[in-house]
This record gives sequence, C-alpha cells and structure tokens, in this order.
Amino acid sequence: MKLTWLAAILTLGALESPAAAQYPNKEIQGIIQWGAGGSTDVVTRAVTPHAEAVLGGKVVMQNVTGGVGAIGLNRVADAPADGYTLLFGAENPLLYKVMGLGTKDYSDFVPINVIARGIPIIVARPDAPFNTFPEMLAHIKANPRSVKFGTTGPGGLPSVITAMINNKAPMQVIAVPYDGDGPALTGLMGGAIDVMPAVLGAAIENIKGGRMKAIAIFDTKVNEALPSVKPVTETNPEFGSFLPWGPFFGIFAKKGTPDDIVAKLTAAYAAGVRHPDFVKLMDARGFTIMNIAGKEAEGFLSKWQSNTAWLLQDAGATKASPATFNIPRP
Amino acid sequence: MQALNAFLIPILDLQLLGLVAIGTFAGIYVGAIPGLSVTMAVSILISFTFKWDIYPALSLMIGIFMGGVYGGSRTAILLNIPGAPAAIATALDGYPMAKRGEAGEAIGIVTVMSFFGGFMGIIALAVAAPLVSEFALKFQPRDYMLLAVIGILLVGSLSGDSLVKGVFAGALGVLIGTVGLDPLTMADRLTFQLPELRGGISFIAVMIGMFGISEALMQLHDVNKAAVKQKISRIVPSWGTVLKYLPLSLQSGSIGVIVGALPGRGGDIAALMAYDHAKRTTKNPEVPFGEGAREGLVAPETANNAAVGGAFIPMLTLGIPGDAVTAIMIGALFIHGLNPGPMLMIEKPDMFWFIVGALTMANCFMLLFGLTGIKVFVKIVEMPRSVLIPLIFLLSIVGAYAVNGSLSDVYWMLAFGVLGYFMKLYGYQLGPVILGVILSRLLDDNWRRAIISDQESLWLLLKGTVTSPLSAVLLLSVLAILLSKTKLWRRWRGQAA
Amino acid sequence: MSDARVRRPGEAAFAVIITAFSGFLLWTAYKISGFEALSSPGALPMASAGTMVVSAVVIAAQTLRSKPAGGQSLTRDIAPMPIVLTIIMVGAYALLLKPLGFLPTSFLFVAILIRVLGGQGIAFCAAVSAGSILLIYLVFRVIFNVIMPEGIVPEREILAFFGRLLPAGQ
Repeated sequence: MKLTWLAAILTLGALESPAAAQYPNKEIQGIIQWGAGGSTDVVTRAVTPHAEAVLGGKVVMQNVTGGVGAIGLNRVADAPADGYTLLFGAENPLLYKVMGLGTKDYSDFVPINVIARGIPIIVARPDAPFNTFPEMLAHIKANPRSVKFGTTGPGGLPSVITAMINNKAPMQVIAVPYDGDGPALTGLMGGAIDVMPAVLGAAIENIKGGRMKAIAIFDTKVNEALPSVKPVTETNPEFGSFLPWGPFFGIFAKKGTPDDIVAKLTAAYAAGVRHPDFVKLMDARGFTIMNIAGKEAEGFLSKWQSNTAWLLQDAGATKASPATFNIPRP
Repeated sequence: MQALNAFLIPILDLQLLGLVAIGTFAGIYVGAIPGLSVTMAVSILISFTFKWDIYPALSLMIGIFMGGVYGGSRTAILLNIPGAPAAIATALDGYPMAKRGEAGEAIGIVTVMSFFGGFMGIIALAVAAPLVSEFALKFQPRDYMLLAVIGILLVGSLSGDSLVKGVFAGALGVLIGTVGLDPLTMADRLTFQLPELRGGISFIAVMIGMFGISEALMQLHDVNKAAVKQKISRIVPSWGTVLKYLPLSLQSGSIGVIVGALPGRGGDIAALMAYDHAKRTTKNPEVPFGEGAREGLVAPETANNAAVGGAFIPMLTLGIPGDAVTAIMIGALFIHGLNPGPMLMIEKPDMFWFIVGALTMANCFMLLFGLTGIKVFVKIVEMPRSVLIPLIFLLSIVGAYAVNGSLSDVYWMLAFGVLGYFMKLYGYQLGPVILGVILSRLLDDNWRRAIISDQESLWLLLKGTVTSPLSAVLLLSVLAILLSKTKLWRRWRGQAA
Repeated sequence: MSDARVRRPGEAAFAVIITAFSGFLLWTAYKISGFEALSSPGALPMASAGTMVVSAVVIAAQTLRSKPAGGQSLTRDIAPMPIVLTIIMVGAYALLLKPLGFLPTSFLFVAILIRVLGGQGIAFCAAVSAGSILLIYLVFRVIFNVIMPEGIVPEREILAFFGRLLPAGQ
C-alpha cells in the first residue's frame, strides 16, 4: 500500500515538470465568485461539463462568496499560476478599484473565455402609471422623490443604468437597496418597489407571466427573446453613446499561467460555449453569447472598464477616480 | 387526470422511486454532518446529473432535501451540534434528553413529527400553492422587519436564568451578523479593513463553535466518567403521544409552511419561531423547556419539515426561491432547459405534480429510514469520551472549513468555541447568540429598506404599518409578546422567575 | 440556579472584559457611518453594540456586587489542565493546518488528544485516528469535493493516480 503511494508520488512528481504536456493531470479547482443558484453559478456550471469533455479532465466547482466576489477573486490570485485554479466571475471585479473594494481586478488575470453578455432591461410593476421609457421619465419628473427604484448597491447593474439615465435626464427617485436582483424583482412583484433595472434573463419569465411589465430594453436593437419590447434608443437615441453595455460572465486564469496551458483551456471552453445545448439555454434567457478570448477579450474588458468606471465617476458614485488607477477616459 | 398521472410517475417508476430513496438516505447523513449542507449537496448534484433527464435528477435532489432537513436533528440530539441551522431549536431540548439516556425516544418523536410536518407542507403545496404564494408576496420590507423583531423577542424565551445576559448574547449575535461588507452599500462594517473579514463571519462557523466546541470543552470536565447508557426500549412514540401533541404540531406546521413560503426564508427561522410558540403556549410541560421538553422537539421539527413543502410554493408558482436549496433547484431546472417562472405551472403542470409526488415519497422514505437504525446511531454517544471528544473536534473543524473552503472560518469557529465555553460557565445562554446571527440580516436589510422607502421618516413608517392589515397584525403580535412578558422587568433585575 | 448572587472564579474578570470589549465595538460601529441617517449601514451595528454595552454594564455591576462562590478554584472548576491543554492543541492545529496539510495535522491531533485524554495505547490511538480521518476524507474530499489544505501531501496527484486505475473514468 505504502509503496504504491510512494510510487505514485514519485512518478507524478517526475511528470509534473513539463507541465503543459500532461495538463490536466489532476483535478482543476474552479472558484465561482457568486453563490449557488445565481446567474454566474448557473451559467458556469452549465458550460463546464461541455468543456471538460474537450479538456479530458475534471473541473471541481466551488462557490466562494462574499465581499462582492472579492473573496473568491483573491483566492484564485493567491493560488499558484499553474492552471489548476480558475476563476468563474462576472463583471464586478472591473469596478473593485474605483469602488474601494480591492486592489486586484481582471488585469491580474488572463481571460480564458468571456462567455456571454446580459442585456439590461427596465421593468416596472404591472400597475405602474407608465408604459414607455419617455412616459416613465415624465412621471418621475412630475412626481419627484416618490418613485421607488430597486438597486443592488454601488457598482451593480441598476446603479450603472441609473447613472446613465441621470447623465442624460436627471431624475429624483428613491433608491431602495437589495442584496441581489432576485430579491429586488421579488420586491417588485410584491409592490415594494416600482421600477427595477435588471438583466433580461432574470426578468423574462416574469414579464411573460404578467407579473411585471417591460418599459424598455437598454440596448440598441430589439432582442429576439422579447421581440415586442422597444430598445431605448428608439425613443431616446441620446442613450446610444453608452450602448451596448451589459454585465458579463467569464473564466479567468491567474496571470503567469504557462501559455500552452492557457491555450488548452481556451480551446476547451471555446468549444464548450459553442455546444448547441449551451447556446440554446443562453438564447432562452436572452443572453448574448460572446465566446471571446485572448487579446480580443482583453480589449473588451478594458473598454468595458473605462466606459463604466468613468460613467460612475461622472455620476459621483465612485470612491476613487479611475484616473488614479490609470484607467483611460473613453 | 393528467395531474394524477404526473403525481404517480415517481411512485410507479421503480428507477425514480429508487433515486428518491437513495437521495433521502444520503440526505439524512448530509444533514447530520455539520458543515455538509443540503445546499452544497444539491449544487454538486447539478454537475453530477448534468447529462441525466430532469426527472431522475430532481428525484435525487428532492430526496436529499427532505432527508437533509430531517437529518440535522440527529447530531443536534446526540452531540449538541446541530447538523444544520434548522435543527438549532431541536438541540435545546433534544440534547438534554440524550444526556439522560433518552436519545432513542427523542429521535423517535423527531422522526414522526418531521414526517407529519413534511406532509403538512406537501398538502399545502398541492392544495393551496397559488393562494399561499400570493400571500407571501404581500410581505413588504416593514413586514419582514416586524417578523425579525418577533424573532428577536425569542431572546426572552432562550435566556435561561438571567434575561440581561440573554440580551447581551442576542445583541452580540446581531452584531456578528453585521460584520463584513454591507451588502446594500458596500461599506466596510467592523472589518478593520481585513480582506478576510469582508466576506463576513460564517454563520455555520459560529454555530459549530458555540454549540459543538463549547460543549466538547464542557464535557472535558469529567472526561473519565462513563458515558450515559442509552435506553433503547421506547423509540416509536405511541398513538397517544402523537395525538397529545397534535394541536401543537398542527400550529407549528402552519408556521413552517408560511415561513417556508416567504421568499428566501427557510426552515431555520420557522423552527425557532415554532419553538417559541410552543414555549409560550404550553402551560405545564411534563419536563421544563431546556431540560428535555417533548414539546420543544415536536414544534421545531414539525415546522422545519413543513417548510420544505412551503419553500417549493413560490418556486413552482412564481420562480422565486423559497430558500437556498430551492434557489439551486431553479438553476437546475434552467440548466435542464426549463424556464422556471410564473408560466411554469401553466406550461408544464406535470412538473408541479411530479415534484409533489416525489416529495410525498421522500417523506415516506424519511420515516422509514429515520426509524430504522436508531439503535446503532445512539451507540455514538456511548463511546468513551476520550475518543468521542477528539472526533467531535475534528468533525467541527472539517465542517467549518467545508462551508466556504476558508481557514479563517476555522479560526472563527475555534474562537467562538472558547468564548462559548466561558459564556456557558458564567451563565450566559448561547441560543440567543445564534438567534441574533440568523436574524441580523433580515432585520438590518429590511429596516433600512423600509425606512428608505418611507423617506427616512419614522412617522411615515408607523403610519404605513398601522394602515396595512398585515403589518398591523404583525405589530400587534410584537406588542402581545412584549405584554405577555411583563415579568420581564423582574427578571431583568437578576431574579429567577 | 437560585444563587444568582454568587460568582464563580474569573466571572468578574470576564464581565469586565466583555464590558470593555463592547465599548470598543460600539466605538468601531460608530465609525462606520456615525449618526448620518436612520438607514445608514452603521445603524444596526450601533444599536446592537449599544445594547451590548448597556447590558454588559448591568452584568458587571451585578457580578461585582455578588460574593465569590466558596470552594471553587480557577484551575479546578473553570480551566482545569485537560481543557487548557485541549485549547492549546486546537490552537496548534489551526497553525499547522496550512503548512502541514489536513491529513497529517488531523492524524497527529486526534491521535495525541485521544492519548492524552484517555491514556489508551499508541496503536489504538493511531488506528482510531487514521480510521476516522479516512472516513471523513472520503466523505468530504472525494464525494463532496471539499478541497482541504494539501500541505506536504500531493493529494490531487494521488487521487488522479487512483482515478486512472479505474478504467471507467467518470
């Protein structure tokens, strides 16, 4: 027994040095920075089995939550850069620096795959006295400090959309904080809030079921999952300068991971995201598949960061200026 | 007819029936081991059952859910370590019974009552799901806040001899619950700028430390004393016993269904509220509460299993998770190509009745597996303490670590264990600390939502509360509980009641 | 317990310590956001820390007025040797867990603790320790994929090795 173990350790020790050739020769640990049942969790758990099949290895997924995802991000950043610890995250880390939540962001990582982008949508409770985006703005203007907007805290999607609206058409609303879009949408259905900027995927079934009504899609074009809802640029073209914008999900390895390992992971996840089952699933929830990696993904991330960080900075919603961290103004 | 067919699928299909049975069996152990939670098991099953059809995958998950909620009571009774938060109240009276050699009887009562509660939840789900979910949606932030206040008032029941020490412990718990990055504004709260504290202090770590470690340290006082011999003659409670507690279990089950159906609130709060209800309404228990009152087992265990059916109500009618486990099941439905939401019951009524059927079978298996093998289980407490205590330490450490894979949780667990040991020695009850931690977020988030919605005006908040029927009823309950404790004042001054 | 007016050894010191600590927490809670708004993030922490301070002061006053319990001593009734020793061992475990890894640290911890507490033979201690750790490891690591600190044991390589022995793979 002991001898077998010893032999195993020695053989594997010897094989480990030319790392990439044998990769993966043990389980890969996947850290999901959001909780079980959330969109990041569901999307990454849904794509990983397809990627595992290509990779020929096992990815053990674990939710490490807290600190708006910073705890999970730091866990991966503290692990060795050997491709055996991966981060499954959303857009939030790109705002950690300006929000004073941490000193690391995706620039400390290599993007393996930016999987998909969510489309923001503004929804209201079914009996709200407005049906379109211009009507909503007019109603808010006529009734300052009475319409209740749900928010998910600084840096969350609702705060960014609200900042966009304030930038073009300043409004006075009551921002009621929730700890996630799920609870906020529940509050909307129960009448605790009137309006909620959310991601399309989270609201779509409730819109179809008549539990809430769609005011506008915050994008430049109509979404196939919800063809009857107008994009905001149709009524208010001035918002076009901010769009398209949306939260996203991605898979990241620590910077310094050997190139060939990154290449293997990238190929595996690119195939996983293309898998028809996964594509169907994402379409049904109104997510736009991106499936980008490498330089293209890095470009997307830095553009997203500079757009959003400066938007929030101009809305006075940041703790530190993006300039401090050399984030260029778009 | 179609409904009946779907209901019968998990009963007539032997493969599905087998999966429900396996799930329930595994669930009992998952629930019993601290640190392993149903939430964790179900999220692992998502990957594991990825290539399966939806029915077999759900059968396994539902079995684990039902078994797991029940299983938490095992370790609560035998070792004073609640295997899951929903079993905290069970430890309060179950463990004293085990100390007297009545572990078998305690497990028997708990099993039968869990079965009964499970059925109440399933019936509520099958018969009244749309009704209950509309009611649950009516809860506004101020109502959740009042619910939390009712919960906090439980400190009065859990304080033991000194109310003031109980209040201290409860306030400590609430404060522990607020540590970390504020989820609403991202402000640092009591984190001292330490990155590891930003995620907060794991509630499970506090629970395992305060219950398990402190009790293990306590036991070291007489490590060489022989363990209590367990009586194993009377396990299944008689019909008479069941009938005697029927009114209480009906009331507790209703509390369980409603609290379970509230979005995001699960069996832990239901069980504590039912325990308090039992303590306030039982005039003359045969054995005092806290020393092994049967009522103290009946109420929380009926409630937490009734909350299982309750949690499915908003999930199946609205696509809103009733608790953490149903949140993951919604993800599972999504991965399997379904679209959980208000349309699910209309487009796929089969799914609803299939889940009702699988829950029914899981509940029956729970009774079966729960009542067999008790004799082997109680042997655990008969192990020599010098062996049992090191193993409790090991299990507690692993359990605390497993929750979030974090070493700092282990450190917290140990620190709270030592603190809990000294608090126990000096007459502070630990129940209120856990209560405070559980209710902290509910109270904090909803107080702030409520006061923000009313433009930071206490007057508007009060006006809103008295003009809404639901809020007014909740406010009256708060006042009634306070008035029923007018002897509070005497106890505050340190006199035994 | 009717004798609420008797205090146990160390109880007064404990009451004073928690009072001071509550005061410190109240100050920390105040610094979160001061008295900015009813809805501020510091509101509930301040309220609960304030409650702690008030009740701790009442407790301390009661305790200091009470008489010490006769016939009890700190080293025998509050912190006897086995307990102090166990707490120290638990501390050592926490420190060694990361560098040494879960398996060796737990083995040493359980084996030594059983030996110290019960005085059983070394072989017995080692066997019980190894057996229980193996069981826990199987459940937590292999079934539930909870990745424990590996320390000096290359666990993932070993598991992968066993995994390859099984031809079925997944």
